[in-house]
Amino acid sequence: MRGVNAALGAAGLAAFLALGEAVPRLGLVKDDYFPPTSRIADALGDELGDGAFWSALGDTLTGWALGLVIAACAGIVVGVVISVVPYLREATASTIEFLRPIPSVALIPLAVLLYGTELRSVLLLVVYASFWQVLIQTLYGVQDLDPVADETARSYGLGTWARIRHVLWPTALPYVMTGVRLAAAVALILAVTAELVIGAPGLGARIAVAQTSQAVPDMYALVVVTGLLGLLINVGARSVERRALAWHQSVRGEVMV
Amino acid sequence: MRRRLFLGLTALPVLAAATGCGSSDDGDASDAGSSSGGTTTVKVGIIPIVDVAPLYLGQKKGFFSERGLKLELTPAQGGAAIVPGVVSGQFQFGFSNVTSLMVAQSNNVPIKAVVNGIASTGVKGKDFNGLMVKKGSSITSPKQLEGKKVAINTLKNINETVVRQSVRAAGGDPDKVQLVELAFDQMPAALDKGQIDAACVVEPATATIRSQGGVEIASPLVEIAPDLTVALYFTSQQYEQQNPDVVKKFREATAQSLAYADSHPDEARAIITTYTKIPPDVLKQVTLPKWPAEANRASIEALMKLGEEDGLFKKTPDLDALLP
Repeated sequence: MRGVNAALGAAGLAAFLALGEAVPRLGLVKDDYFPPTSRIADALGDELGDGAFWSALGDTLTGWALGLVIAACAGIVVGVVISVVPYLREATASTIEFLRPIPSVALIPLAVLLYGTELRSVLLLVVYASFWQVLIQTLYGVQDLDPVADETARSYGLGTWARIRHVLWPTALPYVMTGVRLAAAVALILAVTAELVIGAPGLGARIAVAQTSQAVPDMYALVVVTGLLGLLINVGARSVERRALAWHQSVRGEVMV
Repeated sequence: MRRRLFLGLTALPVLAAATGCGSSDDGDASDAGSSSGGTTTVKVGIIPIVDVAPLYLGQKKGFFSERGLKLELTPAQGGAAIVPGVVSGQFQFGFSNVTSLMVAQSNNVPIKAVVNGIASTGVKGKDFNGLMVKKGSSITSPKQLEGKKVAINTLKNINETVVRQSVRAAGGDPDKVQLVELAFDQMPAALDKGQIDAACVVEPATATIRSQGGVEIASPLVEIAPDLTVALYFTSQQYEQQNPDVVKKFREATAQSLAYADSHPDEARAIITTYTKIPPDVLKQVTLPKWPAEANRASIEALMKLGEEDGLFKKTPDLDALLP
């Protein structure tokens, strides 16, 4: 079954690439603005041979990874604390609902003002965007706690910390992992956006330079790279999720009796 | 190039407030411009376009190092990052167009121009900037742009002034022209597809449109004033007062670089390939700007008068305070 899926996936991709080659060649769109696949592949090859490309890739990944780690840690800690401390959830709910929908890109002027084109401006946007993904999922996860299990733990005399560790955390983890997986994708989008708009070093800034230079195939090649990066990150996040939740029913499936 | 300026403009009021309350970046400001072994490192916020080639060239030629300056050229996406960056001390110097600087100045943003950036070539039909229509367009004069869609990179900035003046000079009513905001790099495609009727472009988009048979109906910069100063390098008033020596060295080295680039266009063209991705065949067609060492004050006054007429400034910019 897996083999068939993989073959279908490859066939779909091949058809897409062939379409990308044919459409401009047939003159349906101008190849000046939409170069055929082969020319983009050429440009991609040139990019891969350029040291500056790799350092840009490194910059983007640094912004992404740092931002994601900060957002995930902060989201989990804040989420658990808010849920566990009585009344804190009610006290913060309206503030969270107010802050959460603010698009991260709206913070660009602020980021520029505070940190200019440095990594810190990228981090500000990345952390802001991905923090909410993790926080909200953590809150839902904790809410899902089975009261009977919690009461049982209490009656066995487990302290707050032990209950968080043994009852609350296993319940919340699947939600948290979903939050982290979503945050990983959002973090990449925001990292590239920040570079593209602000000019912080990275793939986004390189796309912007290609764009202003009228180097169209180069621009598409770099866009393809960011797409591949997103794909890899998603696959990676899924496999981490599977490993972390290997014990969980959703991953393990029903136990045969 | 200065297409992200609108972000910078949104940031301006906040910026004025922030600087009024005393910048929190004093620490950065004092360690930036730090000297070690007689060399001072200065960060320059630039836009990675043709215009700033002299800095790269001057750096390569050692014009800065022989004065004890080390340049750290930091590409930013436009005035959005550069003006606030200079004022808050992240950059010691920055590159921006004259109108943006005048707008900032009229908003009491504490900046000071240091040395010339670029100027129009002053030759009609052979400038880096042009008002262009697509191949086969029936429009032959800016007067015919009444009721038509004209793309400029940033509304309420230098290109709005120059397009309106072109229409006015040709006997048309600029208020009847529909100006739309579009990034320079998207203009050739938009023009080609007929989404816009004309575009006010700069290199390398000018070369791209020419290669597609586009026609220039006006050279707006040439019409405003002879040898119009288009952009300048600037610093913050605070940095200028605290480091007059560095500012003086930067001015001298940049002036030397500008003169050198102006007289060695081939070397300027060659250095452009190191920091942009302009394809070689396009670069050959690109018209370089003029790089005079001195800003042309009369031309800036002309630009200011037109800008005032079009309501770009809150109050009349103080050129004595702004210009070097």
